[in-house]
Amino acid sequence: MATTKTPKSILKKSSSYPAAATTSSKEERDRGLALYHARLIQSRKDIELEILLSTETLIDYPLASSLYDASNPSPADAKAFKDFLRPFQPSDYDALIVERNINDHCGYTLCPKPRVRETGGGKYRVIGTRGRAKDFRVVEKEELEKWCSDACARRALYVRVQLSESPAWEREAAQSLIKIDLLDEPKSEDDSVAEELGQLHLSGEEEQEKKQNTANLALERGDQGRAAHHGLVDVKIQEKEVQRSAEPPSLDEDDLSGRLDTMHLTLEGHTPSFGSRRERRDDEEEADTDWKI
Amino acid sequence: MSSEEDRKIKQREAGDRETARLWRAWRTVHEMVRDRGYTLSDDEVNISLEDFKREYMGSDGSVSRANMKFSANPSDIMMKRYSNPPTDREPNPPPPDIGQIFVEFLNDTSVGIKQMRNFAQFLSSQNHHTGILVTSVNITPAALKIIPAVASETRIETFLETDLLVNITHHELVPTHVLLSKEEKTALLQRYRLKDTQLPRIQMGDPVARYLGLRRGQVVKIIRKSETAGRYASYRLCV
Repeated sequence: MATTKTPKSILKKSSSYPAAATTSSKEERDRGLALYHARLIQSRKDIELEILLSTETLIDYPLASSLYDASNPSPADAKAFKDFLRPFQPSDYDALIVERNINDHCGYTLCPKPRVRETGGGKYRVIGTRGRAKDFRVVEKEELEKWCSDACARRALYVRVQLSESPAWEREAAQSLIKIDLLDEPKSEDDSVAEELGQLHLSGEEEQEKKQNTANLALERGDQGRAAHHGLVDVKIQEKEVQRSAEPPSLDEDDLSGRLDTMHLTLEGHTPSFGSRRERRDDEEEADTDWKI
Repeated sequence: MSSEEDRKIKQREAGDRETARLWRAWRTVHEMVRDRGYTLSDDEVNISLEDFKREYMGSDGSVSRANMKFSANPSDIMMKRYSNPPTDREPNPPPPDIGQIFVEFLNDTSVGIKQMRNFAQFLSSQNHHTGILVTSVNITPAALKIIPAVASETRIETFLETDLLVNITHHELVPTHVLLSKEEKTALLQRYRLKDTQLPRIQMGDPVARYLGLRRGQVVKIIRKSETAGRYASYRLCV
């Protein structure tokens, strides 16, 4: 029996199974998965670095000359400020204020004045002693030293509340398009004219909404946006083919009387069919007779 | 009159305390730099308080931190420990990733992005490989993000003065940590047939790891006293 002939396998030939193909595709899949997550982390790192560099730039703002001040910032500075601020979270904004204070600037980015230094020692200050009782407050000295004036504090915090709490890499397209308003917008002639034009149009708001909707749609499609990336799952939307014209659901008038007694059992238009109510009542009556002596 | 004298005495005492603190931090930094393997003479490390005062105290009786800076070069042993052994794939390995270290004490009441940037720029302009920044106050979180941003140019480590008042490695409960070279690491992994991720771990933020300036992927040998065995060695991978 010892022949050189190799025994014939009773199994199907391996070529009929795409075994080799699946292993390679599995490797490919693993690689794709790893790359996907690596890209996510990389984009996040990029955004964090961008925020850091923006913070560094904004420390030395405003760049414009003494012609402008916090209540009337130069349009270029205000625009740059808003652009830089777009990926910021409130916590990043707080860090920016701290950094500006370290360099003895007012916490509001568009204010050229130095921050105030409270005279005298002590850790806390009492404010609002003159107004009504609800204005009375004890605050840390450091809090008061962040700004050059109350007006600047108001301006800075007005910007802060507009920042999105969610980190930039998780935002939707619409959120990253959000426009930041300043409490004291630069009112140069061009701007005011443009503003009036926008009001004349009356479609300004509508247009904005439209833009947001488009952005959201684009994000849904996976076209753009900060968080846009190729997803792991290949989603194909297939529209259901409609044969006849759609018509709203209506109550059929004719057999309404017949359904009246089971109507309360109807769940979203469907009536459970097993054991109709009448039959059940009969059963109950039968069961009741068992108790009679 | 007496209150005036009291005030003066108190001021002098506070100054003395500050000087003593700085002297201790100065010594610990020197010990740390020497323990990492840089060349420092004994005279530099074991400076007495009197010598320290003579060297760095200004005429007003306070120590100026601006003068407290020094640099050191890695010793041959340290170069060898950090060297990359040649492998089949890479017969000519890159040179060891180690170089001159520079230590600076910062006096600022707050340390932000600006100060960190300046320090990083100074390091790269002077071609210092590593920089240690000793501050008296906490560094802002935003400024700490500068460190990874400039990691490609220069290595920055930061310490607080208060953390350096005592040398933690001299405490009896802290076992000896010895950094393994790459060759020793491969030998260890072969001996026990391990992947390096199968070793126990030590964090980069661990006080001793910070003291030794460990990097991710390095292995330390920890030698403990054992009542039964005399000495007991364990190995940890820095993550």
